Amino acid sequence: MSGPVYAVKNLVIDLYTPTVSVRAVDGVSFEVNSGETLAIVGESGSGKTVMTLGPLGLMPEGVTIDLNGSVTAAGQDLVTMSPKKLSKLRGGQFGVIFQDPMSALNPMLKIGPQLAEQARRFAGLSAKAARKEAVSLLARTGIPDPEDRYDRYPHELSGGMLQRAMIALALAARPRVLIADEPTTALDATVQAQILALLRQIQEEDGIAVVLITHDIGAVSVLADRVIVLYAGRIAEEGSAIDVLTAPVHPYTRGLLASVPDFRSDTATGTREIPGLPPDQTRLLPGCRFADRCAQAITSCRRKRPEVTRVGGAAVPHRAACPVVIAVEGVARHA
Amino acid sequence: MTSSPCSSIRGFAAPGGSDIQFSKLPWLVLTPALVFVFVGVFAPFLMTHDPAAQDYTAILKSPSLSHWLGTDYLGRDLWSRIVGGARTSLVAMAFVLVAALVIGVVIGSIAGYVGGLVETILISLIDIALALPSLVIALALMGVFLGENFDWLSDYWKMVLALTLAWWANYARMSRAVVIAELQQPYIEAARVMGASHLWVFARHILPHVLGLVVVYASADAGALVLAIATLSFLGLGVAPPTPEWGQMLVDGMSYIEEYPSLVVIPGLALTAVVVSFNLLGEAFALQKVPRVLKGRLLRRKRAARKEEDLARTKAESQA
Amino acid sequence: MRRLFLRRAGLALLLMLAATALTFALVTAAPGNVAALIAERAAGAGADGQMIARIADELGLNDPLPVRYARWLGDALTGDFGISLRTGKPISEEFAERIPVTATLLAGGGILALFYSLSIGLWGAASNGRTTDQLLHGIALVGASTPNFFVAALLVIIFAVGLGWVPSFGLYGWTSWILPCITIALFPGSVLARVVRVNLQEVMARPIATTGFAKGMSRGEVLLREALPNIAIPYITTLGAQFTLMIIGAIVVERVFGLNGIGAFFIEAIRFRDFVGMQAVLTLFVVFFVSVNLLVDLVAMLIDPRLRRARRV
Repeated sequence: MSGPVYAVKNLVIDLYTPTVSVRAVDGVSFEVNSGETLAIVGESGSGKTVMTLGPLGLMPEGVTIDLNGSVTAAGQDLVTMSPKKLSKLRGGQFGVIFQDPMSALNPMLKIGPQLAEQARRFAGLSAKAARKEAVSLLARTGIPDPEDRYDRYPHELSGGMLQRAMIALALAARPRVLIADEPTTALDATVQAQILALLRQIQEEDGIAVVLITHDIGAVSVLADRVIVLYAGRIAEEGSAIDVLTAPVHPYTRGLLASVPDFRSDTATGTREIPGLPPDQTRLLPGCRFADRCAQAITSCRRKRPEVTRVGGAAVPHRAACPVVIAVEGVARHA
Repeated sequence: MTSSPCSSIRGFAAPGGSDIQFSKLPWLVLTPALVFVFVGVFAPFLMTHDPAAQDYTAILKSPSLSHWLGTDYLGRDLWSRIVGGARTSLVAMAFVLVAALVIGVVIGSIAGYVGGLVETILISLIDIALALPSLVIALALMGVFLGENFDWLSDYWKMVLALTLAWWANYARMSRAVVIAELQQPYIEAARVMGASHLWVFARHILPHVLGLVVVYASADAGALVLAIATLSFLGLGVAPPTPEWGQMLVDGMSYIEEYPSLVVIPGLALTAVVVSFNLLGEAFALQKVPRVLKGRLLRRKRAARKEEDLARTKAESQA
Repeated sequence: MRRLFLRRAGLALLLMLAATALTFALVTAAPGNVAALIAERAAGAGADGQMIARIADELGLNDPLPVRYARWLGDALTGDFGISLRTGKPISEEFAERIPVTATLLAGGGILALFYSLSIGLWGAASNGRTTDQLLHGIALVGASTPNFFVAALLVIIFAVGLGWVPSFGLYGWTSWILPCITIALFPGSVLARVVRVNLQEVMARPIATTGFAKGMSRGEVLLREALPNIAIPYITTLGAQFTLMIIGAIVVERVFGLNGIGAFFIEAIRFRDFVGMQAVLTLFVVFFVSVNLLVDLVAMLIDPRLRRARRV
């Protein structure tokens, strides 16, 4: 199938709660195709979750959102869609894996029947076939003794097993896009690698599109084909995972990579932290959002919004929103 | 890891912890309860007549300039009786609330802090006291107090005593729970290690937490207590005539319900208004834990502010 | 889980014993009470100290308290609560006549409260934050604040006096039950509606609700199928507490509407210092209260998978 399965253009999202009003996402575009994994990387509060789940209407209760821009999935416009149609689309086309399976899975509901219901509703299976499908999904996600686990409640499974169940639940409707919102953050380190391997296996077997929301550079290097680095609601840099991880252009990306400890050395000498704090998104100033923390910032950075410019000659477009680095270091612009 | 000033967006955490913040309470919620207290305190100045004075020349009159709300079947001024009733309720409520709170906090704190056999005995006592609705206990105690052994007490004080003895247990249970929870805190042990006496540790570190919770609960409980006072009088087991009391006014009015429903409706409304206001107060505390949706004018205002800020920024950027 | 429940049941039994013992000590055993009353009833003003002492002696009222309690308990367990000092009839006969009245009230009121609270609470949560929600919230708040005797009076004014649809006093056919049951249901129903509303609101803000939406459910489906099971435990706990508090509603309602139930008997016993009757009613109340609480514990255990499956972990 050609064309992106989930595409977002010039997305602007404002969030309102009684205490905060925030421009969480400010002019972001991205798309994801079948068979590829897109990683969205950023700090807490950079808007990566809002940008991915907000257009699907998956905002927590109590948050009012204003959404501008165009969002398409399965050839349909999500922005103008009725809530009823949107929830159907959300259930059938998208599977979502949340950060903490212990709080995301309903403690009062058995695991298996939830999977079977999804399979029945969205994949159009009969009750019997749906049950079979649910058991095989549990098996496929690496849950031992799936027949027994089918009738278990979430509290009877460990955190790692629960995240596997959550993945199975996300897959039960046979979605075309799998969104994983920090799928390993709440898990033990040993379990994290297993979950990432599982995600990669599923992606390869099913050829579905995966959107991985994370702040874990390790997870990006394991899974991602393409990467978007988000800073304060704007794209700082994007490109193929290899380009962004090995030849970062934006000072923020460089800082982010430098702050990751190198597992090959047993000291932390190589790591540096990015000085300062992310900007207060409730009151944003004009210009580059990273300017206050950036060693290379010049006066114009604080006045003008940096344009996203394509660099290098890679087939997968590599873009960065830092005219200063591009000019100063003479980074090759795209021909 | 860097902490974000707007981490509330990412984590989607429900605002507010377990601590109740008085400063966040809208003053509007406090006003009705304050009006009740005001009327109760300044009742003598607000009454136009003696609430107990009977006037057989003005029986069951409709509202007029001399009798703002009319008169009852004995010619007593209804307005003055309503105002006087506020005072009766307020004073009795205050006595019971303070006494029950003190008894409850003392018993609960001893149970929680001392532990062992003392705790077991006190808990059993609390459990027994909670094995029946407080009002049923108060009713039973009123029955006991009707005996000749208690003739030295006036009806009013019998009621206050009965309600106090029926009301303390909830406060004791709550206090004990807080004391036990606080004793788990590491700083308590630190204080003990540093040589602080038990009394000092309790007074300085634990009591404030106990009082913090109990006083908030009491502010909401005041409504239930006003209701209990009225119910006792309604059942003929509370304040005796001629002292003005709403529940008793209401039961008196029941005999005239067909011709003069206002005799029932006016004290009933007064009572309901007071209880609603205290419940509102309690609710304002409870709702601090629940996320609210932004809507209406506030949302429009925030949207407008956001738009304006956006415009200013775009303008600044285009000029650069 | 069975062991946990048996433990609770044992504790409940102990609590019943302790509570009846305490009420016994307080009510029946207060010095001179019963004998003086009997003497007074028998001889009018002519009752003297000698007569009182003789009656006390005959009834064994001079025995030590524990002995008297044990005797009373033994009788009570066989259904013999003694003879009412007020009516002169055995308490068991009074109970047989009156329990059905109060039980009907509690059952009718309880069912009404259940329907009322769930519909108002769910409707409010479904129309989250809008005017309907605010309105329903206000109704529940006023309902939980209006004294039930005032509710009764208003209902009588409107439906019995004004419209003449139903009787305002006494028992004349099934229509007589309508106003008492509505009266008794309004307070617990309103409290429960607020429990439903607040807890649903809280659950809807939790990640499990977001998961529900991600599963493709509509708001209504998430409310009913994801959120509702999660409020079952606070709801049932409050339901139990409110159901027992309906005793107070019954006491008031029986008085207003002239129904001869347990509540009316209790108030009469108090006013005429019928200590035997008071003790019997209090015992009945304690048994009712403790059993309902035990039942609530059991139901909560059955509902919560974390408790139900505890043995399997």
